[in-house]
Amino acid sequence: MKNIRNFSIIAHIDHGKSTLSDRLIQFCEGLADREMKAQVLDSMDIERERGITIKAQSVTLNYKAKDGEIYQLNFIDTPGHVDFTYEVSRSLAACEGALLVVDAGQGVEAQTVANCYTAIEMNLEVRAILNKIDLPQADPDRVSEEIEDIIGIDAVGAVQCSAKTGIGIQDVLEDIVLHIPPPEGDLDKPLQALIIDSWFDPYQGVVSLVRVKHGSIRKGDKLKILSTGDSHQVDKVGIFTPKQTDTGILKAGEVGFIIAGIKEILGAPVGDTITLANNAAVEPLPGFQKIKPQVYAGLFPVSSDDYESFRDALGKLSLNDASLFYEPESSSALGLGFRCGFLGMLHMEIVQERLEREYDLDLITTAPTVNYEILTKDGTIHSIDSPSEMPAVNDIAEVREPICKADILVPQEYLGNVITLCMEKRGTQTAMSYHGKQVAVSYDLPMAEVVMDFFDRLKSTSRGFASLDYNFTRFQEADMVRVDILLNGERVDALAMICHRDFSQSRGRLLADKLKELIPRQMFDIAIQAVIGVHIIARTTVKQLRKNVIAKCYGGDISRKKKLLQKQKDGKKRMKQVGNVELPQDAFLAILKIGK
Amino acid sequence: MPISLALPPLSLYIHIPWCVQKCPYCDFNSHAQKGEIPETEYVAHLLDDLDQDLTYVQGRKLHSIFFGGGTPSLLSEQAVANILDGVKQRIEFEDDIEITLEANPGTLEYNKFSGFAEAGVNRISIGVQSFQLDKLKALGRIHNDDEAKTAASYAANSVNTFNIDLMHGLPDQSLEDAMSDLKQAIALNPTHLSWYQLTIEPNTLFYSQPPKLPQDETLWDIQQQGHELLKEAGFVQYEISAYSKAGYQCKHNLNYWRFGDYLGIGCGAHGKITQVAENNIIRTEKVKHPKGYMDLTKPYLNKVWDVEIDDRPFEYFMNKLRIKEPFYLDYFQQLTGLDARILEDKINRGIELTLLTKISDGKYQTTAKGIQFYNDLVDLFL
Repeated sequence: MKNIRNFSIIAHIDHGKSTLSDRLIQFCEGLADREMKAQVLDSMDIERERGITIKAQSVTLNYKAKDGEIYQLNFIDTPGHVDFTYEVSRSLAACEGALLVVDAGQGVEAQTVANCYTAIEMNLEVRAILNKIDLPQADPDRVSEEIEDIIGIDAVGAVQCSAKTGIGIQDVLEDIVLHIPPPEGDLDKPLQALIIDSWFDPYQGVVSLVRVKHGSIRKGDKLKILSTGDSHQVDKVGIFTPKQTDTGILKAGEVGFIIAGIKEILGAPVGDTITLANNAAVEPLPGFQKIKPQVYAGLFPVSSDDYESFRDALGKLSLNDASLFYEPESSSALGLGFRCGFLGMLHMEIVQERLEREYDLDLITTAPTVNYEILTKDGTIHSIDSPSEMPAVNDIAEVREPICKADILVPQEYLGNVITLCMEKRGTQTAMSYHGKQVAVSYDLPMAEVVMDFFDRLKSTSRGFASLDYNFTRFQEADMVRVDILLNGERVDALAMICHRDFSQSRGRLLADKLKELIPRQMFDIAIQAVIGVHIIARTTVKQLRKNVIAKCYGGDISRKKKLLQKQKDGKKRMKQVGNVELPQDAFLAILKIGK
Repeated sequence: MPISLALPPLSLYIHIPWCVQKCPYCDFNSHAQKGEIPETEYVAHLLDDLDQDLTYVQGRKLHSIFFGGGTPSLLSEQAVANILDGVKQRIEFEDDIEITLEANPGTLEYNKFSGFAEAGVNRISIGVQSFQLDKLKALGRIHNDDEAKTAASYAANSVNTFNIDLMHGLPDQSLEDAMSDLKQAIALNPTHLSWYQLTIEPNTLFYSQPPKLPQDETLWDIQQQGHELLKEAGFVQYEISAYSKAGYQCKHNLNYWRFGDYLGIGCGAHGKITQVAENNIIRTEKVKHPKGYMDLTKPYLNKVWDVEIDDRPFEYFMNKLRIKEPFYLDYFQQLTGLDARILEDKINRGIELTLLTKISDGKYQTTAKGIQFYNDLVDLFL
């Protein structure tokens, strides 16, 4: 066990984590050169396309160190986007150390700071690595100082490397071996293994990524999932090299996979503890804090026939994604679907994309919202996560909106822009400090403002330099109202939004205008109204289409014109009928497109 | 119990695939021809092609013939005479058969009009499109306005009925431009006017390099005012884009729109045939490219397919709903072999949307709105 090292990499997007991982794998000959696809660890198509990591993954490498010994390095990959902080803490729970990879030209970013603190709280040894040292703008001294100043770890002797050119890769490996402590655990104790992640594989059933704390587990053993008490025969155990490789055994201190013919997708919950069936009294390992979704949206299948397969798909997806919350929802406009909770907007986009791609579903998403606490006049508190759940205006005593603490790191020159943005988003400044060229500024911001487009706006207003980390802190009274949209006098539940009264007029107007753009002209005029209660705050009209007619159709045109009409019909099929009006899918997300 | 199909009138379409040059809006099967067209050879092939289709005639006389293209007026008078003689030897003509030939309004072409008439052509359709030079240029047309006017007078003198093809909604066209074109066309006193809006079709130059077309509101004004103008001049709209003086509707096109039968010979020509014995409806398509069509080692027929039961209502209405005349459920049954009761919901929906109107039991008609929203109307039957 003394030759095992379990570690993660904490890095901001684009600071070179994936490239560095690939280099480490290559150096230890985990894969032949021809097998090195771009960014091997990001195995989902979406991950490669977007250049981000969403899911935790592990790889076991054998490294012959300068001291002549062979070390087993278990590297657990972590996501880098602010939406996926939760996944990071899970990965960290399997490790004794973490590499803090910082772009030597750019310096520390807010979210890296947050993840570093998590690692330090979990008693991990955090090692600073300065990457992209080959670039002309690299300034290792300044960045080292920044790391010490902002994070408070020793960065004087930080390893300098360039994952791109391969400089310093061996130094990184040596640093891991020398400074990250080996795992502690007792091979002779009864088995205790923590499920870091589980996913459903159509051929193998549930595959679980585990960290064995004590004891060992072999192929053929009968394991027990502690929370459910269910037993299963172990079919396969092994490691990722990064290819899935059977080893027949996993021992204390090691990280690898277990496949035990679990068909039920909730049969191996993330954060649960695995032991052997014959071990009577084993304590569960500290699992993971159940994370609360921050953004809620309705997801509806375009075709109501897909409802069942949609439910199955959500079930399967939620096994791999514990942060995904869902419950049935019914909309008069969109029929049966699910109200889903997400960590943030990116998470929402990714879930929708995965559902559509991996499960071949065609979905409509409604405008995202946060959850509110509503105190009604009868003294009860309602927690709502959908505008349609909002009680009648007359019954409401108080609306409370979620507030988060947002920590932002920004170079001084963009501070003014960031402050302007935060004020526009109803923020209250709570702290500000200067660290070299960077400023750390904290705001209390309404969650509703943060989760929508705040992150994108922050990036564009600071030319990409500002970084953000945020956490829910409390509910606070706010003058929130529900703005409804009426189409030809008929309320469309899926288009309602909750917003601050001060903004309701302007946002109602913008939403109506945006809808006018998005709704195609039809055989009749379509009146679009934005209302609060019975009070009309905006109105506009989609003028009727004058005609819709194929000008020419003779004997030889039948097949071609038929195709054309078929195409038009298919287009209509993808629309949702609300009363007489046909709404394109885009319309339900109109609120996100305001101002773009 | 299956309803037996009745035999509708039979027309003949003859495709002449060559043009001097290809127009940027045209998606018909046409090929720019450099030099002489191989007409003697092609005429022989057309008649050979027709021989293969004779089983489809099923005892009928020919109701109409239409020379389309491409540019049929590139053919010599003699070639047209040879074709028509050949056809007549094979299929008997109805006494009042309509024989139309599409022509370009160029000098070379209109000098042949009287010869075409002698050959048996009794209707000429002139592809004028516009009388304004800048519009003609934008459309890639090779004639000018004077030629168009002369062509019209030649047509009037050689055959008793002629059509002018005119487009509207042209690149940079104003309401005034469009009305001026229409007035000019009316002044030439044709018996028939095909007045249709330019549509950008796939596989055309305009599709890959879209021109700037008038706004929807302008298009609407053009259509409204143009319609009025035509009405005042004694033209009656009987189809979405077809106007005629009383009694001068195009029999050939009407037969398409009434779901009649037609043989199609020549490159890429389509046919539609009711087969009474088999109680079936088929469509045929000939080989498209002249080279392949005239290849002696290959058949003329490119493909033939059944109009499936499920497709019949749509194909019927796709045609029938274009024309401003009632449709009868009885005829629907005879021409599709289907029980008209399957239409009930769709017809009711059409009436609900005010696209259709019921005249009496089993008799319906497209409304004026139904003509404007033809696509939405036929959509019900798709």
